[in-house]
This record gives sequence, structure tokens and C-alpha cells, in this order.
Amino acid sequence: MFEAIAFYLFAFLTVAMFSITVLTSQALYALTSLAAGMIFISAFFFLLGADFLGAVQIIVYTGAVMALYAFGMMFFDTTRELKEKNSSSMIVFGLSGLAALMVVVIFVTPIASEHISAIYPMHENVGNTQEVGMILFTKYLVPFEVAAVMLLVAMISGIVLAGKKMDRSLTQMSEEEIQSMQESDKKAVL
Amino acid sequence: MDTAFIIETIIKIVVILLVFSALAGFGTYFERKVLAFMQRRLGPMHVGPYGLLQIAADGVKLFTKEDIVPAGVVGPIFKIAPVITAATAFMAAAAIPFLPEFTLFGYTVHPIVADINVGILYILGVMAIGLYGPLLGGMASNNKYSLISAARGAAVFISYEVVTGLSLLAPMMMVGSLSLIDFNNYQAGGIGEWIIWSQPVAFILFWIAAFAETGRTPFHLIANDHEIIDGFGTEYSGMRWGLFFIGEYANMFFISFVMAIIFLGGFGDGTVLGAFALLGKVAFFFFFFLWTRAAWPDVRPDQLMWLCWKVLMPIAVLNIVITGIVMMF
Amino acid sequence: MSLEQFKDRNVGEQNYYQVDIADYPTTGWGKFKRAVDRTFKGELFVGLWVVMREMIKFDIHTVQYPKEKLPIGPRYRAVHEMLRLWESDTERCIGCGLCEKICISDCIRMDTRYDENSRKEVGEYSINLGRCIFCGYCAEVCPELAIVHGPRYENTSEQRAHYVTFEDMLTPIDVMKAGAQKEYPGFGAITPHEDERVQKTPLAY
Repeated sequence: MFEAIAFYLFAFLTVAMFSITVLTSQALYALTSLAAGMIFISAFFFLLGADFLGAVQIIVYTGAVMALYAFGMMFFDTTRELKEKNSSSMIVFGLSGLAALMVVVIFVTPIASEHISAIYPMHENVGNTQEVGMILFTKYLVPFEVAAVMLLVAMISGIVLAGKKMDRSLTQMSEEEIQSMQESDKKAVL
Repeated sequence: MDTAFIIETIIKIVVILLVFSALAGFGTYFERKVLAFMQRRLGPMHVGPYGLLQIAADGVKLFTKEDIVPAGVVGPIFKIAPVITAATAFMAAAAIPFLPEFTLFGYTVHPIVADINVGILYILGVMAIGLYGPLLGGMASNNKYSLISAARGAAVFISYEVVTGLSLLAPMMMVGSLSLIDFNNYQAGGIGEWIIWSQPVAFILFWIAAFAETGRTPFHLIANDHEIIDGFGTEYSGMRWGLFFIGEYANMFFISFVMAIIFLGGFGDGTVLGAFALLGKVAFFFFFFLWTRAAWPDVRPDQLMWLCWKVLMPIAVLNIVITGIVMMF
Repeated sequence: MSLEQFKDRNVGEQNYYQVDIADYPTTGWGKFKRAVDRTFKGELFVGLWVVMREMIKFDIHTVQYPKEKLPIGPRYRAVHEMLRLWESDTERCIGCGLCEKICISDCIRMDTRYDENSRKEVGEYSINLGRCIFCGYCAEVCPELAIVHGPRYENTSEQRAHYVTFEDMLTPIDVMKAGAQKEYPGFGAITPHEDERVQKTPLAY
């Protein structure tokens, strides 16, 4: 009974939080409810006994949403409401709703027709973390490594893109140096 | 799930909440006294004997002050931010074994609320959420100093969280578990088996990251009084500000417990002596937080990021690799 | 070290030297060396040791102010006092008005009249402590050593303009009778060994 109560509570909270994320025009509300929703999702992992995934969900998404906050701080005055321009809101809502429905159908159909079965049953006396590790490093080793390589590629490209002028410090340069730098940049663009 | 378990858990939660809320108050008293003695002052002296009732006076002041919500702030977020800090600090305590198990009136008590098998990850995750308090408070406050504080908070968080996680990986590999009780039992053999002897680098790294995590002096960036007023707390008053404070001090106590259990043997074999040893270690770590505040200067935010990304993270990765190689052969 | 060195305000070349500051490293290797150097030098522990030593020595310098007070100098200039004559216990003030005249912040008001013996007598006398800057000119200019500065430096008032009147400042008669009136050694007072320094007025010119 506790599980049912907890499930419905967190289901409601998660849906409510993500609805706020989508519907509000206030950047701070959107970000905060996104973070809250991500944390509430971890509750489902805990309810299902997947403690490791739940904790990882919390850690990963707090960091990720924290980075989003940093962007929010850079781009918006987060204490003010944004004026949004939705020219064709019906199409956007219709398409996204349809996509969400399709995802639900894709995941629910095998469950509804009871053709889903656990290929890797739980081992007795082995912790959750070990289970995840075993599956990750046997069956899913290649996808895991490919994902890691992809992250590495993203990181390196990020460093290359952001680090073009990292060796120059505007605070330690004189006015003339900055001026000449800006002029040479203009030439490069032209 | 029987009723006795639920009642026991609720009692434990209430006890932890009460004890650590009070300890947070005493923490402020200790901090003021220790800092004063180190600076040849006396600290609070007037309220009660040796100023002991200063905590009560502060509490009365915080509770009775007007709760001001300034114009222009984002109301709901502004109001919920201190609650996040305080609540997550106490949520993190759920996976910490505070004492060895003992028998009270024939009933064995485990002084840990939930011995989940991912204890450390859970603590790190919940403490990470705790930084949302300063972040949200700073962003919602409609104050430029608070905003700077929030920006620093985000930058600092992303930097130190990497070091915290990576530095703990090596001890986790040695113990083969994420539960703090398993960590404790791994080191139950006495001082010679403490993880600090086999993982001194990880210990130092985690200690440094703990300073960043709790925002104490060498890395006291997000509420640096002499640069950005009180940072995220500038617009807060009364008990909302007090919640930030309780959260900060409770966090200091909990991270001291985590350090003592992971690296310094925890409560050892679970005797009364072991329990007192654990409290002594925690007291030392807490004292060290105050000690550094008296002795060390603050670093700049860019210096902290430099330190975390360019120095500590490579060392942590090297430590993991070396530990793995040693464990393999 | 004697004070000579500090009293010499003639700023020149004499005692100054450049503090030896190492150059800022420019190369990556130099920065790395500096970081390692700073890390293992142990300067952080020196700081820790210094504060710990002070804590152990427990050499507290706090003055718990309302309970303890630091002694103030005898020439301290706080709220004014009016002294009485030792011989007759009457007030020393002769109503000359010099203090009112010299007061640079215009805070002294006095009102004099002739009494029945045709002697000048002070009627109203008040000092506006809200304006007074406690410069000490009134005490310095007073020919009779009547108005002096006392040691009372703790004042509270409900108003900005807080007046003290002649009666407030005058030494109470019972104190006077007990012989407890204190002479003031500050501005305008007779310095010690004044008698030995008195010389005959040179009338030769």
C-alpha cells in the first residue's frame, strides 16, 4: 500500500513539475521545476529497488540542471517573465503530444501483451550496484564504450571551440593590444 | 513492513532532526568561541554563563524577526530556497550511521535511518541538491550580489563535485560497497586498517572537496562577506536566513561524519570506546573547519576552479588508476 | 629600537628597501613549479600553527567594556566640569565670558548680572553637548581654571541637542566639603613644578 501511495504521489508530482516547466513563461520557474521533476523521477527508481540508478539520477541531473541554470543566468533576467512568441502553437502542441503518445504506445504495447521478460534475473545476495556493473560490462559493453567515446568527442570539441583565445587575458592586456587584436579578428572574419 | 519498524524510523528521524538542529546552534557558538580564542578575544560572554545562552538568544531573535519578502523577488522560489538547503542537509543524514548499534531495554537500535546499499552515492547526491538552495535564493533575490553568489555557486559546484566523486571512487573500489556500514566494517580491525593509510591522496582530496562542499573558508566563495555582502543571503531575514544557517552547519557535521567513517575507521568494532572515538574524530574535523577559518585566506573563484579541474581532478584520476593496478595484481 | 627612527619624518633613502618579490611566471613550467612550490612549502601549516599557539596561550586582550573600563588619560577631554574655590567653596567662575567668546562651535551660552554686592555673577550657563566638539579651548582660555574637562565620557540623551547647565557641571558641595574635588591637569591647567619655573618679571627694559 505504501508503494502505491508513494508511486501515485510521485507520479502526480513529476507530471505537475514538468507541466510547469513547459507551461510557464518565467525562466526560473521552468528551471526549478525541471530540477524538481528530475529528482522526483529518481523516486521511481528507489521504489523499484534500483537504488544505484536512483542515486545516479539525482547526481547526474542536479549537475546537468545546474549548468542550465548557469545558461539561464547568462541569457535571461530570471526574475522577470519572458514575452514568448508562439506563432503556431497548435502545431507545436499537436506534434509534441503525438510524439509523447507514440513513446507511450511503444513502451506499453509489449507490457500490455505480456511478451516482456527479464533476460537478466536478479542475483541473490548481490547488491544493486554490482548488478548494474555486471550488465554494463558484459552485454552492454560496446554501447557503454561508444557512449563514453561520444562524450569524449563532445568534451574535446567543446574545449576546442571555447578555448580559442584562452591564452590571451583581456585584463592583462593594454588598450592598444586589445584594439589590435579586435582589428585582426575583423580581418579574419572578412 | 511492520509497525514497529515504522515507529522506530520515525523516532530516529525526530531524534536526528532535534539533535542536529541543536548541534547547528551549538556549532555557531563553538565557531564564535574558537575564532575568538584564536584571535585573542573572548567571544560571546554576556548571555548566560560564558555566553552559553547566546544560542537561545539568537534563536529567539531569528524566530521573532519579521519575515521580509522584498519587492521584485520571485516569491515562491525565494521562499522555498532556504527550505531546500536545510531539508537536504538532514535528508543526507539518513544514510549515515551515527553510532554503532546498541541495545536499549532489550531492543537493538541501529542508529542509521536507512542502510541503503548505495549510501555514499545517496549522500553525495542529496548534498549536491543542497547547493540548489543558495543557487535559487541567489537567482530569485533580485539583487546583484545574490546573483553573483548564485553564479559562483554554480561554477564552484560543477568544479568540486567531480573531485568529490572521483576521490571517493578509489576507497569504494577497495571496499567493494557503497554502504557506509560496510566501509566501517572493512576498517574494524583497528588503526592499522584505516583507509587513510592506504588512500592518503583520496583522503586529502575529499577533505579539500568537503571544504568546497560546505563552503567553508578557503573556499568560502558563495557567501563571501567582504566581497559580495552575504551573497545569496543578502535579501533574507529572520528564520529563512536561519534555515540557510542550520543547513550549512548541519552539513558540516554530516560531512565530518562521512569523512570519519570512510577514512578514519568510523566507530571501529562497535564498542563504547569506538563510539566515543567516532565522536572525537567528528569533533576534530568540525574543529578543523573552524581552525582554517581563523588561519587561512579565501581563494578567488577562478583559483578554485583552476585547483579543482587542473590539479585535483588529474590527481584523483591518477589515484584511481594506480589503485586499480595495485588491486589487480 | 629607539623612537628616533620613527620621529624622523624626513622621507628619503635612509631606511627603505625594496621587498623582494619574485617575478610572475610566464611559462607553463614556471607556473607548475610555483604551484608545486607553494603546495609543499607548508606555509598553510604555519598559519594554522600561529592561531593554534594563540589559542593555547589564551592571552586574551578583550576588555569587557561595561564591566571593565580602560583607564583614561588625566588630560582626557570629556564632559565639562565647573570647579569650586578651595578656600571658600564658592564657584570659581567670574563670568568673564571668555569661554563663550572662544568657543569655535558656538555651544556655550552664558548670561551674567551684578549681584547685590555689585559683583559679577553667572545667571544662566549652559553647554550644548550636541554641538560641542570637546576641543578644550574653553578650559585653556579660562583664567580662573573654573571650566575644565572631566572624565565622564558615557552620555545618553533623548535629544540631539543635549544641554548641561551650570548646576550639573558644578562640583557638588558635599564632594567639595569632603575635599574630593579633583584638579584638572589638562589644557590650560598649571603644569607640575610650575612654582620652580616662576621667574621674576624682567623690568629692566
